[in-house]
Amino acid sequence: MAKVERRLDTLETVELAEGIEIHLRVAGPFLRFYAYVLDLIILVASALVLFFGVMLLGVGVGGNLAMGIFLLLWFLLVWFAPVFFETSRKGATPGKMALGLRVVDEAGGTVAFGPAMIRNFVRLGEMICPFLPLAAFFNPRFQRLGDLAAGTFVVYSRPRVEPVDAGPPTLETIPVNLSLTREERAAIISFRHRSGNWSEARRAELADYLSTLTGHAGPKGVSKLIGMASWLEDRA
Amino acid sequence: MNRQQFENRKAAGWRELEEKVRRLEKKGETAEAVRVPSLFRQICRDLSLAQYRMYGTRISDRLNSLSMRSYRLIHSSRGGIGEGAIRFICATFPAAVRREWRLLVVSSLLFWLPFILLWWSATREIAWVQATLGAETMMALEESYGKGASEVIEQRQEPGANFLMFGHYIQNNVGIDFKLFAGGILFGMGTIFFQMFNGIYIGAMFGYVSYAGDPEKLLSFAAGHSSFELLGMIVVGMAGLKIGFSMLSPGHLSRTQALTKAGREALPLLIGGASMTALAAVVEGFWSAQPVGYTTKYLVGIFFWVAHLLYFVVVGRRSDGS
Repeated sequence: MAKVERRLDTLETVELAEGIEIHLRVAGPFLRFYAYVLDLIILVASALVLFFGVMLLGVGVGGNLAMGIFLLLWFLLVWFAPVFFETSRKGATPGKMALGLRVVDEAGGTVAFGPAMIRNFVRLGEMICPFLPLAAFFNPRFQRLGDLAAGTFVVYSRPRVEPVDAGPPTLETIPVNLSLTREERAAIISFRHRSGNWSEARRAELADYLSTLTGHAGPKGVSKLIGMASWLEDRA
Repeated sequence: MNRQQFENRKAAGWRELEEKVRRLEKKGETAEAVRVPSLFRQICRDLSLAQYRMYGTRISDRLNSLSMRSYRLIHSSRGGIGEGAIRFICATFPAAVRREWRLLVVSSLLFWLPFILLWWSATREIAWVQATLGAETMMALEESYGKGASEVIEQRQEPGANFLMFGHYIQNNVGIDFKLFAGGILFGMGTIFFQMFNGIYIGAMFGYVSYAGDPEKLLSFAAGHSSFELLGMIVVGMAGLKIGFSMLSPGHLSRTQALTKAGREALPLLIGGASMTALAAVVEGFWSAQPVGYTTKYLVGIFFWVAHLLYFVVVGRRSDGS
């Protein structure tokens, strides 16, 4: 974990006890900030509903009792509602749910009660010092300090299945005379599989990153790269 | 075998698992679950193969998503809450407090030194106490514990007053505990600040009532719940300090790893301490203002203090090693 690697994407590999590796797509700080704002709005709305509900109740059971109930429910709402939601089957507060995010532990599973408490309580401390949440930008899994203390991170709840559109069939297969890592080979192959969704210009833009490999820039580089992908795929 | 053959051969099993997982996620019916583990193992194998042979994102994304969902279903914890709670009370919590005895000393001093200082200052120079409390608090204290004030019992005559105070103590005092913990992430400074502030403020309250009011009223009221509340607060302070110190001095770990480790070790302190404060709210709400003599109240208070000391020193010793 301590080893910092340059990565091609935000996929986080988690190895399960079953001996397989699964990939989780880590959610970025911007989306998580959105989810947080949504949660705040929902919190204020439910506090209002709670307040008026208990006011009505107070007419029936007496003001003191109603106020006591309000204080208890207010306490639970503020401190434990996020904990409850994050430990539930969905693993996400309503704001995160709406944006398709969830909180997972180091093993990619649903977070337990204790760690959920820690990550939500620590947030309050992070809010006091506005630069503390920025620590998330310096972490490959975008963990804020509360996530680090709890050993959790936030991912997309369903890894989006990429729309596959392989584009025009390849005209030629071109051998690659370089030893590539598995990840690099996979990236080239997935370039071919996804290229049908992109405009010509976008394809060229992406392929230009590999112009040293293909030897060409622009559309020519694209067809070379697709040829290489086809060669890699046949041999896999 | 190329991708198409692989997919054709395996697709039936994938579809079956997808269907079962979808239904289990929705309703949690166990009758569906019988074949899930073996199907899951099959999917794990297929996923490794698909990744190794690089059959492309379409297949591996599908299998990846499917195996993750099955994994969450299979490993979702249904642990007995009762058993866990008993083990926590009888072993984990007191053992954690003993293991972190250095933090216990620091957290206690942070509270007790300002507390004693402010209380003592009231006998020499009341201005410090007055400056701490402010006019409104002093008036409220005189109303409750002043020389001519009615007994606390009479102030709680209204129906539901006990429950109202219980709700207030939970919301306020346990909330203060959680803030105390959260302050730990500011390199421990937040915890230190809040803990000293609590010492100063509570010390000033006792000082002011000794100076201007009837201290017996306050002491007899506070005796019953004092051990729960003050020890609970000190233990939660330990949890905050644990987090803070791990960031300041991570030892041989990286700061990130140290923080994760500290979070794991601080958890029993946070939960245990906050539970003690919640118990304090029960005692404070429903016992401390009961119409019984001062002597009984003091005795109950002393009993709880001794019980707490015994609990933290004795309970769960045998499991300390593990």
